Amino acid sequence: MHRRGGLAALERQKQSSASYSQLSSTITATQLASFQTQLTQFRSALIHFANTHRKTIASDPAFRSQFQQMCANIGVDPLAGPKRGGWWAESLGFVGDWTFELGVQIVDICVSTRELNGGIIDMPELIRLLSKLRGVPANGAGGITEEDVIRSIKILEPLGSGYEVLDLGQGRKAVRSVVRELDNDQAAVIGLAGDGSGFVTESTLVSAYQWSRERARAVLENCTMRDGICWIDDQEEGGVRYWVPATMQWDE
Amino acid sequence: MSKSLQKQTTASGFILPSIHALPPFFTLQLHPPSQASQTAHWTRLILSYARHRRLFTLRLEDAEVPGGEWDEIFHNSRINRRLKPTHLAFLLSTMVEQGQAIWDPPKQNRVVLLHWRLPEEWAEVLHEWATSTGQLNTILTFYEITDPPIDSAMSGIPTSLLRRAISILSKTGRAQIIEGAEGGGVRFFAPSGKP
Repeated sequence: MHRRGGLAALERQKQSSASYSQLSSTITATQLASFQTQLTQFRSALIHFANTHRKTIASDPAFRSQFQQMCANIGVDPLAGPKRGGWWAESLGFVGDWTFELGVQIVDICVSTRELNGGIIDMPELIRLLSKLRGVPANGAGGITEEDVIRSIKILEPLGSGYEVLDLGQGRKAVRSVVRELDNDQAAVIGLAGDGSGFVTESTLVSAYQWSRERARAVLENCTMRDGICWIDDQEEGGVRYWVPATMQWDE
Repeated sequence: MSKSLQKQTTASGFILPSIHALPPFFTLQLHPPSQASQTAHWTRLILSYARHRRLFTLRLEDAEVPGGEWDEIFHNSRINRRLKPTHLAFLLSTMVEQGQAIWDPPKQNRVVLLHWRLPEEWAEVLHEWATSTGQLNTILTFYEITDPPIDSAMSGIPTSLLRRAISILSKTGRAQIIEGAEGGGVRFFAPSGKP
């Protein structure tokens, strides 16, 4: 009869459970390594395939769509690559898809943040959110650049969506996604708030632009109640602050 | 350099959304679209915080109690902003309108019972608990449910909400209220209605 009581048995049990867990982590590590190798192999096979069938892919829409579908099914993003346009564009010379896709993502971000920022988003913030969406570093190799965004927005133009890149001066840019002209006054408000504070007041507008107090008040009224690009804050002793969410970086 | 808004983890382990670091979040916005967006953020924050801390009741005064159980979300000391009672009153009535809370007791507008789970959802949780702890077909007092010896999903649930959950279950024959001298009790049945 087996007796499993006593200290020795307890010790044995402890040992065996330790070796089991060690074994399991070894197996997991091996599996992971082998998956990575497979993935790399698969990727290069796919590139090879794309290269050899380049002509067919480029000329035959049905074949192209099937190839794209295959990529989507197995979770390879033909748009995500180390270089601009991804290896897909690199091997096939397609630039269109990447830019179109970026356009769709720009629309996505602009629409989902519109209630917060009144339809105007700071360029660096847009690029940061885009990079997050695509899982690429916000700056550096493979990242999305200002030029990419501008190109994508140009492509959206024929759709009449009203997306526009705004120049706020001093090299700062923003993207406007509401069909409305941004007048100079609003640009001035966004420009001042974007200097780092995130807000403006009647007084800061007056001293920055030599406006009359009435003008500053009217501009702020429009920005807040007509355009929704400012949010009011009445809890500061020095007077009402008008915050511009569009100039802020949001940690999502 | 643009100003950045960070998420923040509170002492109780709750993660505050980045909008909580935006000073005008604490001033009721007047532009309707901005206000709608702000209110949606506030109600989501209130409900998820209530769920995190298992808070069922929200009072108008809670905006003014320093160190109170709602202080972590109604007060942001890093930016020196506080939710004003008038703003909270607006949020309370909006939440009641949208079915995310009810005035409890009824016929006043200072205290709400929060529905971070709808009564229908509570009914399912309750029945699930009774089943998994082997308490079908026996009589349980309300007290045994709201203050079980071992913490459960039902711990601390207000009796009024518990009663609503039970009455939802009784419509499908899964529970029966037993009125008694000491606050009453309930008996749960298996879904098929068999004893």
